[in-house]
Amino acid sequence: MNHYLVQVWAILRKDLLLEIRSLERIGAMGAFAVLAGVLFNFSIDTTAVRPDDVATGLIWMTLIFGGLLGVGRTFQLEAQDGALQGILTSPAPKDAIFLGKTIANFVLLYVVSILVLGVFGLFFGLDLGQNLGWVVFVLGIGSLGFVAVGTLFAAVAAGTHLKETLLPVLVFPLMVPMVIYGVGAMMPLVNGRPITEVEGNVRMLGAFTLAAVAAGAVLFRYVVED
Amino acid sequence: MTTAGMRRGGTVLTVLGLAGLIVLYWMCFFWVSTEVNQGVVQRIFYVHVPAAWTSFLAIGFAAVASAMYLWLRDDRLDRAALCAIEGGLVFATLVLTTGPLWGKIAWGTYWTWEPRLTLTLLLWFIFFGYIMVRNSTEDPEKGKRFAAVVAIIGAMDIPFIHLSVVWFRSLHPEPVVAKPDGPTLPGDMLATLLFGVLVFSLLFFGFFLFRYAVEALRAEADLRARSAT
Repeated sequence: MNHYLVQVWAILRKDLLLEIRSLERIGAMGAFAVLAGVLFNFSIDTTAVRPDDVATGLIWMTLIFGGLLGVGRTFQLEAQDGALQGILTSPAPKDAIFLGKTIANFVLLYVVSILVLGVFGLFFGLDLGQNLGWVVFVLGIGSLGFVAVGTLFAAVAAGTHLKETLLPVLVFPLMVPMVIYGVGAMMPLVNGRPITEVEGNVRMLGAFTLAAVAAGAVLFRYVVED
Repeated sequence: MTTAGMRRGGTVLTVLGLAGLIVLYWMCFFWVSTEVNQGVVQRIFYVHVPAAWTSFLAIGFAAVASAMYLWLRDDRLDRAALCAIEGGLVFATLVLTTGPLWGKIAWGTYWTWEPRLTLTLLLWFIFFGYIMVRNSTEDPEKGKRFAAVVAIIGAMDIPFIHLSVVWFRSLHPEPVVAKPDGPTLPGDMLATLLFGVLVFSLLFFGFFLFRYAVEALRAEADLRARSAT
């Protein structure tokens, strides 16, 4: 078990180190998220709708679009010089590779989601003070579920000639429960409702994330085998 | 079963299904009594519901075949999954055309986020994604594995999608909630519906066998072409 964790950590550390040194994906995702917030602001007539009512949904949509941008490149990191083959032929089990990659993607997306929350809170004048801890928690569960599905299908998409273009077609239909439960949990929280009111939604979001991580860990080996 | 046997089986089932379809239309238009509240438009129900049942049968069938393919690596299982998905796509399209036609009259709008309609739309896209993944992979073996993963994850996500869209619906109640079904369905309507389910299942398996025979022939032709070179 300990050995397994070391293998997960090796992949995770490598991916995060690459990201910290290049800041490529997080830069692109962060800039995308902030600019999306700017564009959303102009696409809504704030005299007709209350920004509080739409901001939560927009935060989740930005996370999904920005997430795809970053997650889609997960396997491009190793595209050169057969680096991916090197990792796959290493003795590390495939599920450990999947978990390492997923956690690395999760760290990236979580950083971006906190940024999105702050920026959208600022742009749309959200009052995040009351339930900030819970809001951040819900974003965390959602991000993890998203990257689990996203990482698995990023591996699939990388093996096709359409590459990342294929990713939304595969991922979006599966993301419906995440959007519904994520927004359903977060909107009342942002509006100052207590966590007990949205407990059911948070649980369903957690169940979705758990199923996504488990399914990804099991099925990943069939995607990358050669 | 041999390829020729498949074709024979496919022919028999399809002919039976088509004959059944004529009877179903007759029952639907002339025999079954008109529903009191909705009137004549409710008759589309006998095509709509069996088609929906068949498309969900297809994804279940494809997911089981895909999981078994990943385990046993028998090409026949992969072919079965592909044929089920293609059949499912046809029947899901049928659901998505008959649903809005009925909705326009019953609800006053072509589209509404009614949970089952939403679920079928997403199911359609899962079928679509399956076919797209297969077609965009150069190495056929890779395409088979990728597609199997799509089918399995898609089928696994369906309970989640179903629960979430039902919950979403309860948040936004429609002014007119028309529920065509229910345990208190009169006898002749139930009989027509069940007959419809039978007919559509026959058609599905008929198409399935035909399509399967085509895929088998293609695999055989590939093999011959390869051994010739």
